[in-house]
Amino acid sequence: MTPTTIKRINWVGGIFTVFTVICAILWAFPIYWGIISSIKPEDEVIRPYIELWPETLTFEHYWFALTETQIGTWYINSIVTAVGVTVLTVSTSLFAGYAISQLRFPGRTALWWLILASFMVPTQVLIVNHFVLMADLKMLNSWAGIILPQLIHPVIIIVYKQFFDQVPKDFREAAAMDNASEWDILFKIYIPMNWGVTTALSIVIFIWAWNAFLWPFLAVTKTEMMTITVGITQVFDAFGVYYARQLSAAVLAGFPVALAYLLFQRRVTQAITLSAGIKG
Amino acid sequence: MSEISLNNVCKSFGGVQVIDGISLDIESGELVVFLGPSGSGKSTLLRMIAGLETIDEGELTIGGKRSEHLAPGQRDVAMVFQNYALYPHMSVRENMAFGLKNIRMPKDEIERRVNDAARILEMDALLDRRPAQLSGGQRQRVAIGRAIVKEPAAFLFDEPLSNLDAALRVRTRVELAELHQRMQSTMIYVTHDQTEAMTLADRIIILNDCQIEQIGTPMDVYLYPNSRFVAGFVGSPGMNFLQAELSGTAGKQQAKLGDGSQIELSVDLGPGAYELGIRPEAVRVSATPAATTGTATVVERLGERTLVHLRLEDGTELIAQDGGHSEVKPGDLVHLTFDTSQLHLFDDKGRAHHAK
Repeated sequence: MTPTTIKRINWVGGIFTVFTVICAILWAFPIYWGIISSIKPEDEVIRPYIELWPETLTFEHYWFALTETQIGTWYINSIVTAVGVTVLTVSTSLFAGYAISQLRFPGRTALWWLILASFMVPTQVLIVNHFVLMADLKMLNSWAGIILPQLIHPVIIIVYKQFFDQVPKDFREAAAMDNASEWDILFKIYIPMNWGVTTALSIVIFIWAWNAFLWPFLAVTKTEMMTITVGITQVFDAFGVYYARQLSAAVLAGFPVALAYLLFQRRVTQAITLSAGIKG
Repeated sequence: MSEISLNNVCKSFGGVQVIDGISLDIESGELVVFLGPSGSGKSTLLRMIAGLETIDEGELTIGGKRSEHLAPGQRDVAMVFQNYALYPHMSVRENMAFGLKNIRMPKDEIERRVNDAARILEMDALLDRRPAQLSGGQRQRVAIGRAIVKEPAAFLFDEPLSNLDAALRVRTRVELAELHQRMQSTMIYVTHDQTEAMTLADRIIILNDCQIEQIGTPMDVYLYPNSRFVAGFVGSPGMNFLQAELSGTAGKQQAKLGDGSQIELSVDLGPGAYELGIRPEAVRVSATPAATTGTATVVERLGERTLVHLRLEDGTELIAQDGGHSEVKPGDLVHLTFDTSQLHLFDDKGRAHHAK
């Protein structure tokens, strides 16, 4: 490699680094702005110019969100529905992915194509149907009503199928020689061998479910049944909406997800890569 | 009584026949090797015995019990896979105990069997390790240990040494032979490596083109191959084949080779054109004029012996064996003698006729 080439590469690298740093700042700025605004007094928030640091630091909005709203109930609703969606989505997708990957039964190919086809349909298209169905089943304003329509994640089935496809068939045959039932093969061989995928997918589904807004917003009208993302819309009083209060509620809403991300950063990145690879 | 008996078993994948009416009896305590080239059906036959492939037609009996409809785990056989197939998330102990737990064997009995197998295979210190922490040879032992703990009627080995390096392969081969002698269990061993087959087998079953080509002891198939295929497949380096014209009366015949030289031999065959087969060790380099001459093209020095690759006058290629201190060099004109008692003639159907 000649010195000129090295120099050229360094230039390209430098430009690329600057570009990515700018992108990162642009992406992170709203989060920064939200957090900073939540610790400013309301009059500072509504000033028509940008102040990157608060003149007066206050936690009164957090106090309001924690004491004057039903945020505790919303947290519980979010935890229950997000955990419910995660557990049910992972378990059903796992069984479906295993069946399509490893078992031979009539209609297997048709089922696989159906799953692939359903993957092409955006959830928003089905949202009216879901609403009518949940209303007919008297499930609106209930945890089940929030959870059930959110279980449709064909991408998770596809990811599981792909991973199960990649398990060398020797393991399955060795397990068959070891008198293992189909149940044993799934739970004692295939799942433990793909434990990393299950963990990664669980985290990412939990984050999706926690952050879900559109469906919980439609499915719930009672304040005490709202999830925290929907609950943010209820942070107002008789004098109207206070942006700083809403932002403090938003920060509180995002806190568990941010914490989960910090704790399981590697797994989350892995899961996003897995699902993004398929989503295209 | 035969431990394993196959009666006219057939198997096809789609329209392709892969096992064509094979019948075979394997005695208790015998180590039988299925030997054949890729695609000969040897692994499929083993997998049919294991239950990993269905048997389309025919009968399979294991330990006197009809078994072709039984699930793999119920056939009383244990298999060692080519890639070991050790469960990566389980320790060695858990790998070995997995099959026993599945049949709800009492814990103390599982413990006893695992410890016994570990002692036999000298891997007591490895029991709490994961497969990823083991070398190739150690993994191989664990795979064998997993089979031993089941105390099966027969062990099935599917090319178990093919993933090991050359030195480890030789060592493990010897260990397997010792293990068989110690345990006296029935074993079926699949390989395409004829050295493994020759060194391990009580009997070799040579498969070719979906059928059994020959069954015999290693020396039987080596010295008396019953077809040109077996003659060419068994032995390393392979048998030499030369075109020959046979003349004379039975008991005292002459085989005229392509280069015009003549060899006297005795074989129960009429005059005609045949293919003459002779192993390299039966073609010797002579200091004095002998049956024929050839020009050395390549000289391979293997230590205790030297393989001399030659070209005869008519262009026929041949390998002769000389002593370890052979002085032959490439380009030398070499006199050759043939051990006529080790000649084989193959007719146009590939059937072998051995010289007396």
